[in-house]
Amino acid sequence: MTRPDPNDPLKPDIIPSMSFPTRRRLLALSLGCGLWLLLVALAAFYPRPAQGAGDEPTPEPTSWVAPDLYKPVIPDDPLLADLGAVKYWGVCMACHGDRGQGLTDEWRERGFGEDMNCWQSRCHSYNHPSEGFQLVRVVPPAVGSNTLRRFTTAAELQAYLVVKMPWWNPNSLTPAEAWQLTAFLLRENGVYPRGLEFQPQKAAAIPVHLPYRAQTGERLTQWLFFATLSLATGLLLLSLARLRRSSIPSGVAAGNAPDAPPVSVVEPAMQPVQKPLPPIVHHRPNFLHHLHPPTIPFPQARWRYTLGMGGLAVFLTLLVGVTGALEMFFYIPTPAQAGSSIQEISFLAPFGGLVRGLHFWGAQALVIVSGLHLLRILFTGAYAPPRRFNFLLGLALFVLALLFDFTGYVLRWDEGIRWALMVGTNLLKTVPLIGAQLYGVVIGGVKPGLATLTRFYAWHIFGLTLFLAVILVWHLFRVRRDGGISAPPPELRRDPRRITRYDLAQREGLAMLLASLALIAVSLLWPAPLAAPIQEPPVTVLGEVRAPWFFLWIQQLLRYGDAFWLGVALPLGVLVLLAALPYLFPRLPDQQRGRWFPPAGRAVQIIGVLLALGWLALTLLELATKTP
Amino acid sequence: MTTPNPQLSAPPPSPSRRDFLKLATRGLLYFSGLLGLGGLLRYLNYQPDPPPPARFEAGLATDYALNSRTLLPAVPAALIRDSKGFRAFSLVCSHLGCTVEIKSDNYACPCHGSRYDLAGQVIKGPASIPLTPLRVELTQDGKIVVYKE
Repeated sequence: MTRPDPNDPLKPDIIPSMSFPTRRRLLALSLGCGLWLLLVALAAFYPRPAQGAGDEPTPEPTSWVAPDLYKPVIPDDPLLADLGAVKYWGVCMACHGDRGQGLTDEWRERGFGEDMNCWQSRCHSYNHPSEGFQLVRVVPPAVGSNTLRRFTTAAELQAYLVVKMPWWNPNSLTPAEAWQLTAFLLRENGVYPRGLEFQPQKAAAIPVHLPYRAQTGERLTQWLFFATLSLATGLLLLSLARLRRSSIPSGVAAGNAPDAPPVSVVEPAMQPVQKPLPPIVHHRPNFLHHLHPPTIPFPQARWRYTLGMGGLAVFLTLLVGVTGALEMFFYIPTPAQAGSSIQEISFLAPFGGLVRGLHFWGAQALVIVSGLHLLRILFTGAYAPPRRFNFLLGLALFVLALLFDFTGYVLRWDEGIRWALMVGTNLLKTVPLIGAQLYGVVIGGVKPGLATLTRFYAWHIFGLTLFLAVILVWHLFRVRRDGGISAPPPELRRDPRRITRYDLAQREGLAMLLASLALIAVSLLWPAPLAAPIQEPPVTVLGEVRAPWFFLWIQQLLRYGDAFWLGVALPLGVLVLLAALPYLFPRLPDQQRGRWFPPAGRAVQIIGVLLALGWLALTLLELATKTP
Repeated sequence: MTTPNPQLSAPPPSPSRRDFLKLATRGLLYFSGLLGLGGLLRYLNYQPDPPPPARFEAGLATDYALNSRTLLPAVPAALIRDSKGFRAFSLVCSHLGCTVEIKSDNYACPCHGSRYDLAGQVIKGPASIPLTPLRVELTQDGKIVVYKE
């Protein structure tokens, strides 16, 4: 996507002329005409032909080295791009042309004079005599529309130049020279404004195919946001700690201390403190209090037992929903525009990088948190009746999280997801009997294309959300129906103390603040991944072909044998095994409930450990596998 | 108003008749459900994208050197010219569809590590089927055409 550069003085079509109010129209018109004439005159006497305007006719060469092919003059105060122009002239121009047009016949004739026929000679063909050498025949253009397609950011372009260019002597450019060339190429492609110094330290956020946008102070604001939020969290923590120290001694039963000051206290995990409920007249419950439990028994909410993973997963789901809705304002689900619209979110939209980072990292965190939640349930025996059915609902939510993650990953529609999509959908074909049908339903064609993207978009935005809404609410409802967020151990069950909604809200708020802080920091430090948009036929050199991290274990498994048994049946088998656990091992004596690693649940714990270790081992193995 | 409706006070139908009606209703409901499911499946299976091309022009035959192996990225295929003439095979890995890379003496799949020799036969799994040979035609005016399937 190359857009007209508003700073290019040789593009007369940007001169505004006709849309002014009537009174000023004449003035504007004459001004515009004058300016246009000036530009035409300037263009006529400009020593070099217009850079990047690929279709303009080139002047006839007078001698074999035309004057416009002389070494560019370095201005007094050169920018990186000016230095890059000289470097380009010296290293790149011979093959890529004086205007970045590539090795065209026109360039061969103009740039090489009588040597233009050397490409036809046998001295430089593939079967050249021993004293000859082969000339490169196909050289892609580097300036103009539809060039540099394999690069997303200036940093990628620079890295490629360092490693691959020039073709006859790769690795000969220094990083600094590669930055000069990068600055030159971006300027010639009309991406980076002329006269503005290129900043290599920002190159990871400078897109190659989108117009330049000055990001003044945005990054600073983001860190300021992070700093103020952390300060608020710190103050909240501090005040809670002070309250805890000055709070009334423990052991005061609910309702028995009407004279106690109505301070809000967060109970420490092991030494809980009870305080009276605030008078109802002063705190008329609003609608939200219908959704939120008024009080919960103190012994249930032990952080060391629950790890707080369920609540965290709910918060992450909400966060991912909100940031996803924000991304929908810009995302365009077509193969041609998906990649560039995501680049616009990441690089152009103010704070877009943060929004996308929160969506991406929130989603990854959701998979991790749900996985830990599942392990916690297995290791504490919380799957046992009466929570057996809710265990199934939770497992369904975990699968939904994976499906959300994979569909969202595919929506990037860039070279990074190409082969994962290919493999994931081709796995469906291996299913006996219904494989072809399944493939057709998921892909909507004989190979991934527009229909596939539309379908993944529909599933990601709406279809999966429908299932999620129903099952999530059902899961939360069953938590309360089955006796609260956890079953306390026997010695704590008679503890009558309860946590008020005010304390609960405070704890939840604190957890959300901490989670948000972590996610904001991660998003600011590590932008969400991105690659060049998919093109047919592929231009990107293969190499690193990786499944998304949560499916690396399946990629490793697939290296060992039959695609159906290892790629479909085995993962489904693991899921069925997990779902069957509470039905295979339902017995859990009452006195063992509410503790980590109850002896009656050994079999389940061992299976859980084995599955987790197996997943980890396969993932690490895949990461260690060298691509051929 | 006080006289009972003769139809309501009529004896209920015999158990077997009632059972049959119940069975018929249920059967019809299930059958319609199956039909609806089949319709849904067919609806979702509709392929809005046109089928991809199966015929690829690869330029003049004289452009390909003897004993050369050329990548045709649009197919994707490897076009081989040796003393016996032109041959081509698909570079789509027979395992799960990734495009294999041309190496000096083999073809390597970047996804799961399958390897094929220069004749397209499997050297190393997980793939079990060789690379698909493609039909190559030499047209009247000396051009190469590669056909998929």
